[in-house]
Amino acid sequence: MVGVRMTRRRRAIVASISALATAIVASSVVAGQFRSPDPEAFHVGLATGEIARVADIAAGDGLPGRGVFVQATDTGQICLWDAPSASSQQRQGGCNSVDDPLGGSALSASLAYDGGPAVEDVRDARLIGLASRDVATVQVLMSDGTRREMRLRKAMLESDEYRAFGYRFKRSDLRGGVGPIAVIARAATGDEIARQSTGIGG
Amino acid sequence: MKRLSAALVVVVVALTLAGAALAGATTYAGPWQWSQNQGAGSSFSSSWKYNYFFKNGSGHDATVTFIDNVTYSWHATVRNTSATTYTYWFVTNVKRGHCRANSAYFWGSCVVVN
Repeated sequence: MVGVRMTRRRRAIVASISALATAIVASSVVAGQFRSPDPEAFHVGLATGEIARVADIAAGDGLPGRGVFVQATDTGQICLWDAPSASSQQRQGGCNSVDDPLGGSALSASLAYDGGPAVEDVRDARLIGLASRDVATVQVLMSDGTRREMRLRKAMLESDEYRAFGYRFKRSDLRGGVGPIAVIARAATGDEIARQSTGIGG
Repeated sequence: MKRLSAALVVVVVALTLAGAALAGATTYAGPWQWSQNQGAGSSFSSSWKYNYFFKNGSGHDATVTFIDNVTYSWHATVRNTSATTYTYWFVTNVKRGHCRANSAYFWGSCVVVN
């Protein structure tokens, strides 16, 4: 009887070890699917390549105008920036692979803001974006159900044509607790072809 | 003379190491699979300038920001679905990097650079 108990215990121990080993191997395999880029090499790469202004963010509510910039780095990144100027380090935005500048969508938008996280506490909020040439209009859906129309500008990236936009949200909207919740791109037919969720505080 | 040379070598090595540390990047979250609304924060420091969210591709909605240690307000916040979400805030205030996943089931890591 003791021998049977020992066998059961051994089996339980072996089963536990096997389960643990399987879990460790499985998690390593899954983790191995994502290899974060070398942050310092990526950071250095952002200082390379050419940068071009593709749209403007108008001055308003006592805040200075800014620009929307596209940068193609020597390290294979296409970055979309909201910045005071092309040479400024004060850039905010994101980067995708040069092979897929819009990240598999017809629209790539980026929201930047100062203050918060409550909408009422935000001092300045801006939206920039790049869309495919199929996009005829881009609207921002606000939390009160109203919409803001983006003014699109033609932008060339390598030999491909895109639509670029920059927008500064009105302080009266923000003070009233009204912020953006989605960016919607439509074709000339009016059909929605891309939607990107956004929002302040998230 | 030998002592002076040795001292100089020590100083140069120390300064080099300090410089490397000052220009360093610190991963404060991940890489791991993110859940929706999951957030993470770095340590507080006056030297952080850049905050990155590296993701396993585009289409994953994420936010990066800096939070000061006085008002705990958010600064230079950026939200997008790019493969890398990036912000820069250069002030001497003490702050921490903060990142947040607004969508689920993607792999990524958050990094602050000084």
